[in-house]
Amino acid sequence: MSTRPQEEAPVSSRSGTWRFNAGDGAVAFVMILPAAILFGLFYLWPFVNGFWLSLHNWDGFSDPTWAGISNYKRLVHDRIFLGALRNNLIFVVAVVVLKNVLGLGLALLLNRALLGRTFFRAAAFVPVTMSFVAVGLLWSWIYNPVFGLLNSGLDLIGLAGLKRSWLGDADIALYSIIVVDVWKWLGFHAVIYLAGLQTIPSELYESAKMDGAGPLQRFRHVTVPIMMPIIFINTILGLSGAFVRNFDIVYVLTKGGPNHATEVVLTYMMSKAFQDGAMSYAAAIGYVLFMIVGLASVGLLALMRRQRLDV
Amino acid sequence: MRAAANPPISLNDGAAGSRRRGLMQRLGMRGILEIGGIYAALILVLFETLYPLLWVLFGSLKTKQEMLSNVWGPPSSLVLQNYADAWRIAGMGSRIVNSIFVTGSALIILVAVATPCAYAVARLRFPGRGLVVAVAVAAMLVPPQVMAIPLFLVARDLGLINSRLGIAFIYAATSLPLSVFILRSFFITLPADLEDAARIDGASRLEILIHIMLPLVRPGVALILIFGFIEIWNDFFLAFLLLRDPSVQTIPLGLVSFFQQYDSLWTLYFAALTITTLPVIVVFVAMQRQFIAGLTAGAVKG
Repeated sequence: MSTRPQEEAPVSSRSGTWRFNAGDGAVAFVMILPAAILFGLFYLWPFVNGFWLSLHNWDGFSDPTWAGISNYKRLVHDRIFLGALRNNLIFVVAVVVLKNVLGLGLALLLNRALLGRTFFRAAAFVPVTMSFVAVGLLWSWIYNPVFGLLNSGLDLIGLAGLKRSWLGDADIALYSIIVVDVWKWLGFHAVIYLAGLQTIPSELYESAKMDGAGPLQRFRHVTVPIMMPIIFINTILGLSGAFVRNFDIVYVLTKGGPNHATEVVLTYMMSKAFQDGAMSYAAAIGYVLFMIVGLASVGLLALMRRQRLDV
Repeated sequence: MRAAANPPISLNDGAAGSRRRGLMQRLGMRGILEIGGIYAALILVLFETLYPLLWVLFGSLKTKQEMLSNVWGPPSSLVLQNYADAWRIAGMGSRIVNSIFVTGSALIILVAVATPCAYAVARLRFPGRGLVVAVAVAAMLVPPQVMAIPLFLVARDLGLINSRLGIAFIYAATSLPLSVFILRSFFITLPADLEDAARIDGASRLEILIHIMLPLVRPGVALILIFGFIEIWNDFFLAFLLLRDPSVQTIPLGLVSFFQQYDSLWTLYFAALTITTLPVIVVFVAMQRQFIAGLTAGAVKG
C-alpha cells in the first residue's frame, strides 16, 4: 500500500503534471481558497445551519430554543405538508414519464425528417430558453377562462363541453401545471434523445430488417437497448429538476391553490417561513426534501451501476 | 478504437444527406404516406410550441376590446402604445439594468473563482485534492432550493438582502460545484507538454493558467457561461427570496409583481412579456447550434 512500485511514473501517460512538486501545495491552496470561501459561506454553512435550525424552535428574531426532532414529528401529522408531498411526487412521476415518452417520440420524428430537421429542432427548443416565470405567465393566459386560447380553441372546434376552469378546479389544476412543465422541457429532452439516436449505426437497422424485424421490433430490440444510457440521463435530468424546480411555475400559476390542491413542498416551505414566520419548521421541510432528493439520486445511480451503465 | 469507444455525436443534418438520392423512387406510396404523417405530426408540435408565443405577440399589439373579441387572429391595427405603457408602468428599464448587472457580476465572479479551483484539482498534486472533487460532486446532489431558509438567514446576517452584488455572489456559489466539475474535465484532457515547457522557461503557475491553459479551455468556459446565463437570468426563486425592494428586482420578479399589482392590463402584460422574452429568443435563434450543443453536451457526454 505504502510503497507502490512505480511511485514516480505518471498516472496518465499523456500528463506529466502528476509528478509531485513541492511548491504545488501552496499554489493549490491559493487557487482553491476563493472557491472554498464562496462555497463555505453560501453552500456548506447554510446546509449545516439548516439542520441545526430544524432541531430548534425559532421565528427568526427571538432566541432559538432546543426542540429535538419535534419539528420532524409535527411534519408527519401535518396534513397540508403530506398533501404537498403527494402533489410533489405526482408532479415528479408525471413530468418525468411524459418528458421521456414525448421527448423520445419527438426525437424519432425528427430523426426521420430529412428536410428542415434543424428548423423543427430549434423551434421545439425555444421554450427551454424561456424563464419559468415567462412560461408560467404565458400559460396562465392560455388557461384564462375569459380570453384564454384553450377554452376559446375548444369553442372553435365544437368541444365547448370540455371547457374548464383549468387552474381553478381543484381536481385538475395540478395536471394543468404538469402540462406546462412538460411543454417547457420537451424540446430539451427531445434534443438529447435525437443526439443519441444519431449515434446508432444504420447497419444495425438494415440487418434487423433483413432478419425480418418490423418497425416495432426494431424499436424494441435495436433502439431501446442502445438508447438505455440516454434514457437514464434523461430520467436523471428530469428527476433532479422536477423535485425542486417547481416553485416558480406553481407560484405564478396558482400559488399552491385552490385550497392547497397544487401545493408542492417548496411553496409550502416558503409560506411557512415568510407568512407564518416558522423559520425552523420551514428549515425542517427543506431538509426532508433534501433527503428525498438525495435518496432518489443515490437510488438511481445505484441502479445505473447495477445495469453497468457507465454514464 | 477511439471512434468506437466514443462515437461522434452529430447535431447536424449531415448523416441524412447521403441517403437522399433517388428518394421518391425508393419510397413508394406507403413511404410517401409515412413521410406525410411525420411532417403532419411535426407541424402539430411546431404549432403547439410557437403559436402561443405568436399569440402573445399578436395580443401585445391589440386593443383590449379586440383581444377579447378576436382571440386567435392577428391584430387589425398595431397599438404600439401598449409597449410604451408597459415599459413605463412595469418599470422595465430599471429591471433590465438590474438583471444585466446581477447576471454579469455573477458570471464574472463564477469564472474568476471556478477556473483556478478547477485548474488546481485537475493539474496540481496536493493533499486533499480528492476531497475537493468529492465535495463538488456531493454538492451537485444538494439543490440550493432545499436550503433556502438558512441561505436567507445567512444573507440577512451578512446584510446581503436587497443587495444586487450580494445575490450575484450567491448565484456564483450555487453554480460553483457544476462549473468546477465541467472545467476540471476540460483541464484534464490538455497535454502536459505545453505546461512543462512554460515551467522550464520560468513561468509561474498563475501565468501558465492565464496565458496557456485558459485559452485552451475556452469551450469549457463558454459552456459554464451558457449554463450560468440561462440559470441566473431566468431565476425567480432566489431573487424572490433575497431581493425584496422593487428598486433592485430583476426581470422575472418585475414581471410577476406587475402581473399581480395591476388588474387585467392584459395587453400590457403581453407587451411586457414580449419585451423580456423576444431578445432571448432572437439571441437563441442567432446562435442556436452553440446553445443546443452547449446545453445538452454535458448530458450526452456524461
